[in-house]
Amino acid sequence: MALSRRVAYIDLSTGKIETKPIPVEIRKKFLGGRGLDAYLLYNHCPPGVDAFSPENPLIVSAGLLVGTLASATSRTHTMAKSPLTGLLGSCNMGGFFSPELRWAGFDHLVIKGKADKPVYIWIHNGEIEIRDAKNLWGKSVTDAQWAVREELGDPDVKCLVCGPAGEKLVRYANVMTGVKNAGGRTGMGAVMGSKNLKLIAVRGTMDIKIAYPKEALEFNKRFIEQITTAKVNQTMGILGTPFIWGATNSWGGVRVNNFQYNQLLFADDVEPERFHEISNETFGKYHMAGCFACQVHCRARYRIPDGPYKGCYDEGPEYTTQGAFASEVGCTSALTVLTGNYLCNQYGVDWLELGSLISWAMELYEKGILTIKDTGGIDLRFGNDEAVIEMIKHVCERDTWLGDVLAEGGLRAAEIIGKDSEQYLIHVKGMQNLHSDERATPALALNIATASRGSDHLRSRPAIDLYHLPEPVLRKIYSSPIPYDGPLSSDFREYAGKPWQVFWQEQCFMAVDCLGICKYHTTFLGATLPNFEDWPKVIYYNTGLEFTPQELWTIAERCNNMERLFNIREGLTPDDPHKGDILVDRYFNEPAKRGAPDVIGARIDREKFLKMRAEFYRYHGWDEKTGAPTEETLKRLGIDNEPSHLL
Amino acid sequence: MFKDKSTAETLKSTRTYGQFRCPNPTCLDRLVPKPGEKTVKCPKCGTEWRVVWLKPDLPRIRGPVWETNIEIARKKLEEVEKKGG
Ligand code: SF4
Repeated sequence: MALSRRVAYIDLSTGKIETKPIPVEIRKKFLGGRGLDAYLLYNHCPPGVDAFSPENPLIVSAGLLVGTLASATSRTHTMAKSPLTGLLGSCNMGGFFSPELRWAGFDHLVIKGKADKPVYIWIHNGEIEIRDAKNLWGKSVTDAQWAVREELGDPDVKCLVCGPAGEKLVRYANVMTGVKNAGGRTGMGAVMGSKNLKLIAVRGTMDIKIAYPKEALEFNKRFIEQITTAKVNQTMGILGTPFIWGATNSWGGVRVNNFQYNQLLFADDVEPERFHEISNETFGKYHMAGCFACQVHCRARYRIPDGPYKGCYDEGPEYTTQGAFASEVGCTSALTVLTGNYLCNQYGVDWLELGSLISWAMELYEKGILTIKDTGGIDLRFGNDEAVIEMIKHVCERDTWLGDVLAEGGLRAAEIIGKDSEQYLIHVKGMQNLHSDERATPALALNIATASRGSDHLRSRPAIDLYHLPEPVLRKIYSSPIPYDGPLSSDFREYAGKPWQVFWQEQCFMAVDCLGICKYHTTFLGATLPNFEDWPKVIYYNTGLEFTPQELWTIAERCNNMERLFNIREGLTPDDPHKGDILVDRYFNEPAKRGAPDVIGARIDREKFLKMRAEFYRYHGWDEKTGAPTEETLKRLGIDNEPSHLL
Repeated sequence: MFKDKSTAETLKSTRTYGQFRCPNPTCLDRLVPKPGEKTVKCPKCGTEWRVVWLKPDLPRIRGPVWETNIEIARKKLEEVEKKGG
């Protein structure tokens, strides 16, 4: 049964391994994946613990539907306290790791302690071993995976791995699987490194019994049709996610030169069609690949066409890579984006965080806060492609003063650099913002300000707000499964109605993260993709568990509140510039200067923003002053006695 | 046991192939490029866009016609700055 998978507790200090079944009652409250991880983290992470302490649990999981007959159920989730923000650490990636984990018998791994030497964990058909990793330590993301496959004599072993950046405790190092599937943001790879844990290898051949296989397959056909006929997914299947950056840059919604402009001019060489051409030329016509059970196939394959890494194989880039190594750093070269992408994938580092930090350092250099002595002789001006590539290496190797400082993350780096450096840092809760500029889009601004893991577009971003959808269509989407009769506007510059859209999206994304479904298969980039009303069927046919759409919504709310409880416990207060639900001043003070005519002059109105935030808190049942869930909210969601230590 | 069609499924009928919207936020009208056309101009705000055809019925805005849109943006910025925005 999909419900028979277990949770394993692995102590790397003592070598003790224990496994437990997951009670159905817990499933019904948290489903699996990210939601159940939030429960486990709140229960197993001691309050106030240092993120690099052995006591910080690293939790790895598969969603409830992963490895079943449902579409795009490929997602692996990882959670711990973040070494970057000191708040919730969480990341999600596609690929093939989590289905294999389930076929090997497990849904959740809770890894505690610290090994006294580098180790890896080997999980196969219900068995778990801790093994010596001295031959893997120091290896790149892909080399480590091939080496362990060779050692285990099985090319089909799937791995979750930290790269050299994680070993060196770069505070925003990723966990990775395959070539480019990245669990980015919040530094879960660094938590792996702090435990001397290089890799988790899995291989499983244990069947997952499907509750109603015929119906599950039949319904999945409908689901696939729904997904593959959407214009957005047809575009993704050709251009991958770079189309998102291209569309956003068109109207002036990206950050350029850190945050001085909002459109990268004459960007033809880094537009999605250019990457498509390079993939065609270097890999061939059929260069798009996909994750487990996905029909969209948004992952491009390519070889670097030129330069010192010419011929190296890689996958991507993503829209976030274009943001990191084109617009934010003021570069207009496809080669820089592709080379940066390759290096980040091999080092196992979050390119989004790193690109943003390099662009920040560039602005500091431009303003004379950093000098050529500080940069180690690198001419760190905007648009210097070579400087960007050099800085990626120095941060991941931590081999120069500035590289080492930036490896600490923005807020720590600002403290070390001093002067007015923090004023130019573009972050929320200590995590750098995505490359996008949300000054013209209040909904997206509220999203990044309140996202549970710091500035983030994958927690609650109502991206369809950018599509100018007619009000009746918006109403259909946002009034289900919970009735909503408040305002909704087709104009993305409006404030009214946006808090509900962000709130709705937050529950939607939590639900897919609990199920292990890719976000491109729900209401994110496409308005006509499956959500709450579609999932009960998939869950029922595959697992036998019955939920109404409203019940799924409540589960998502419960899980989001578990994350909120964790953040509140670790010091979140609404207006704290380092840990709060607030934007940096530039959003409020500096108007957009480029892009579509109706975007020019846009900035966030502070008063209206605070009103939106208060409304968003009200939907949640959070106290307006403290931002904490009220007693009533916790009771309503049945989490008023946490930590309850049931698992 | 389940509703025949979910809201998302019913919304499929609102999908519009062969067209896109002008990316300028007040131009809610759709732009319908002629098959194979390489640029399209918004009749409402005057912005101009480069078009690529991913499939015969799937046009996409590749990016702005830079010279046109930069000039429009420059004028708009002047106006905004005059107003003290
Ligand atoms: S849409 Fe892309 S990221 Fe999502 S499952 Fe498919 S290939 Fe993976």
